[in-house]
Amino acid sequence: MISPRTLGNLRREFRSSALAKLGVLIVVVVVGVAVLAPMFAPHDPTTQNLDRSQLPPVGFSTTTNSTSTEMVNGSLEVINETNEINATLTYPLGTDSLGRGMLSRVIYGARTSLLVGLLGTILAAVVGVSVGLVAGYYRGRVDDTLMRSADVMLAFPSLVLAIALVGLWGRAAWRVPDPLVVAGITPEMPASFVLPGTVIVVVGLVNWVWFARVARGEALSVREQSYVKAARSVGASNSFIIRRHILPNSATPILVLGTIQVAAIILLESALSFLGFSGTTLSWGFDIARGRDYLASSWWISTVPGIAIVLSVIGINLLGDWLRDALDPGIGGEGGSGGA
Amino acid sequence: MLEDRAGSEDAPDGSGADTTTADPILEVRNLSTQFFTAEGQVNAVESVSFDVYDGEIFGIVGESGSGKSVTALSILDLVESPGRVTAGEIWYRNPDLADDMRDSHPEAVEGEYVDTRRVPTGVRRSLRGPTFSMIFQDPMSSFNPSITVGEQLAEAIEVQRRARANPRSTRSRTQGYGLGRFLTDSLLPSRSYVSAESRERATGLLDQVGIPDSAERAAEYPNQFSGGMLQRAMVAQALAGEPDVLIADEPTTALDVTIQAQILDLLADLQDEEDMSVIMITHDLGVIARMCDRVGVMYAGEIAERGSLTDVFDRPVHPYTEGLLESIPDPDDPAPRLQPIEGNVPSLIDSEMGNRCYFADRCPKAMDECVAEKPAEVDTAGSAEHRVRCVLAEREYDPTRALSGTEEDREREASADD
Repeated sequence: MISPRTLGNLRREFRSSALAKLGVLIVVVVVGVAVLAPMFAPHDPTTQNLDRSQLPPVGFSTTTNSTSTEMVNGSLEVINETNEINATLTYPLGTDSLGRGMLSRVIYGARTSLLVGLLGTILAAVVGVSVGLVAGYYRGRVDDTLMRSADVMLAFPSLVLAIALVGLWGRAAWRVPDPLVVAGITPEMPASFVLPGTVIVVVGLVNWVWFARVARGEALSVREQSYVKAARSVGASNSFIIRRHILPNSATPILVLGTIQVAAIILLESALSFLGFSGTTLSWGFDIARGRDYLASSWWISTVPGIAIVLSVIGINLLGDWLRDALDPGIGGEGGSGGA
Repeated sequence: MLEDRAGSEDAPDGSGADTTTADPILEVRNLSTQFFTAEGQVNAVESVSFDVYDGEIFGIVGESGSGKSVTALSILDLVESPGRVTAGEIWYRNPDLADDMRDSHPEAVEGEYVDTRRVPTGVRRSLRGPTFSMIFQDPMSSFNPSITVGEQLAEAIEVQRRARANPRSTRSRTQGYGLGRFLTDSLLPSRSYVSAESRERATGLLDQVGIPDSAERAAEYPNQFSGGMLQRAMVAQALAGEPDVLIADEPTTALDVTIQAQILDLLADLQDEEDMSVIMITHDLGVIARMCDRVGVMYAGEIAERGSLTDVFDRPVHPYTEGLLESIPDPDDPAPRLQPIEGNVPSLIDSEMGNRCYFADRCPKAMDECVAEKPAEVDTAGSAEHRVRCVLAEREYDPTRALSGTEEDREREASADD
């Protein structure tokens, strides 16, 4: 399916671009961490330990002031006590207000973000590409009907639409058994993780329009190629032509859009979690929201998941840039003719 | 728009039947294709009629924009919005199909002939491949760059194979290529829509069109082929359905001269071997002279002059045909300057056409009667099927009746075009 020339372009672009390497590195690390979360996480991300709450990350310390009154020599005195809380290596990134290790929570949060990002993008791509290819291939009234409804979708602010849909459908989520725990490799970790079903469907339905627009544009241009006419002149059906000729030759921009959409959907999921519309509490956005109350005393509770979001979104976007530069013949150097 | 075309609506059958004893395989009658654009209605093909006999090569020649390609696409029913075939009949001789259609669509059947314009869309599609097939102008863009040439050829064959297994059912052609199958095919490279027989036949076809090392070449992508090789592969794809009528739409325009000759030889050989009919569309009179038995000269969406090769080349009546012939360089006598036809093909917008000869504005022999009424197509000297749409067929050119102001008009037009 992937031609050798395309692979050659990818390799050449990868070698020449430091940003591409960085992007791939970040994505590989994030994906690896997410898949093997139970092995990387030092603690169960859900176990609370109030004795160890709000510990700072390694390298930082924090002080708590406590004021008490005591009888000293028959008079009341106010005593200001300053306690220094030192970081401990047991919790390298500190703990949140309930004493849960931030490192473990960030590692498990990567799972939620990536799952929602990937599954949501796949759903959006399947819906959007189908609609877009059909609209672009048939043109005319079909095109008008489909794309005007897409425009209506686009007119809604996506976050508001997502919140409305979550509100409408509830926050359905499935508990999926964790294969690493089931296999007995990491028995001390939670036996399942939450797949936020509604959120995935919602982010998919909010973002399909982008795929529809790109796919329609590609279909409009590819359908004019002689090989489409040639296929029709030997009797191929419309659906056959769409699948066999239009789709493969529209694949490159759709693929590039897909990577960028993963990042956008991760951001959208974080925003939804931040606002409390997520099906799981193990999410970067949710932790940021929780840490907001402690920003003055324990900045890391919000900052650590925030950095995780920033890093993964940057990484995915760099990956998308690499794909675009390597696959799009119009941008920089010599590229493939779209043989994805 | 057909009200004043009475002259061309004569005798659908029988005309010109004396060149071959058999009945024509294809009778095109009053075919009109219009494009409905923002600028207005464009009559790209206007009431065109012609016959194609078994095993002959019929040439259609004309300038760019004269409606040659649209005629071809109209026959295959491949005209796309904003264009539409608005009128006409395309009678195709096929006794089996006629029997099939006689009960369900009696209006579309006449003897052994079926009017492909009046059968359902699905049947019309099923005719593409086994009945009509087409070779396109630019071989480089006629192959999907993401599929190997052999695979693409095999797919065309597979479409035909499935069609034959279940004739004239539209669904059968791509049966087994539903969404589920599509997904598994994409994920499992070992599975494929095409069968091993189709692959073999694809290699065989590549052999037949003279591609060396066909087995290896079949596994290559179109960008690894040269233009000439791709055009051969294109011919192979058009042959996949063993068509009765092969339409070659400027098959050599995008190729260099030596390759042109090879492709033309190949087409001539194949036409002989397969005993099919070919409609050769070109702007190159050399190609017509070399390949065709009969020829129609198209101008502004109409056939201006038609006849056997000798009729058109040796005894042209229509000044447009004369002009085309005069604009061919003569290698033996390069001294005289070529005589181009002044001006350009009219825009064909319906509202600007009027009831007159469309060529009158550019015609060196235009007379007053040319703009008074549109000339009908009439028999003229030469063979029985030498017919021409020109007043000169019936009277000599008379300079005293020359269209007043023609020279000035033409000069003004020429400067406006520049």
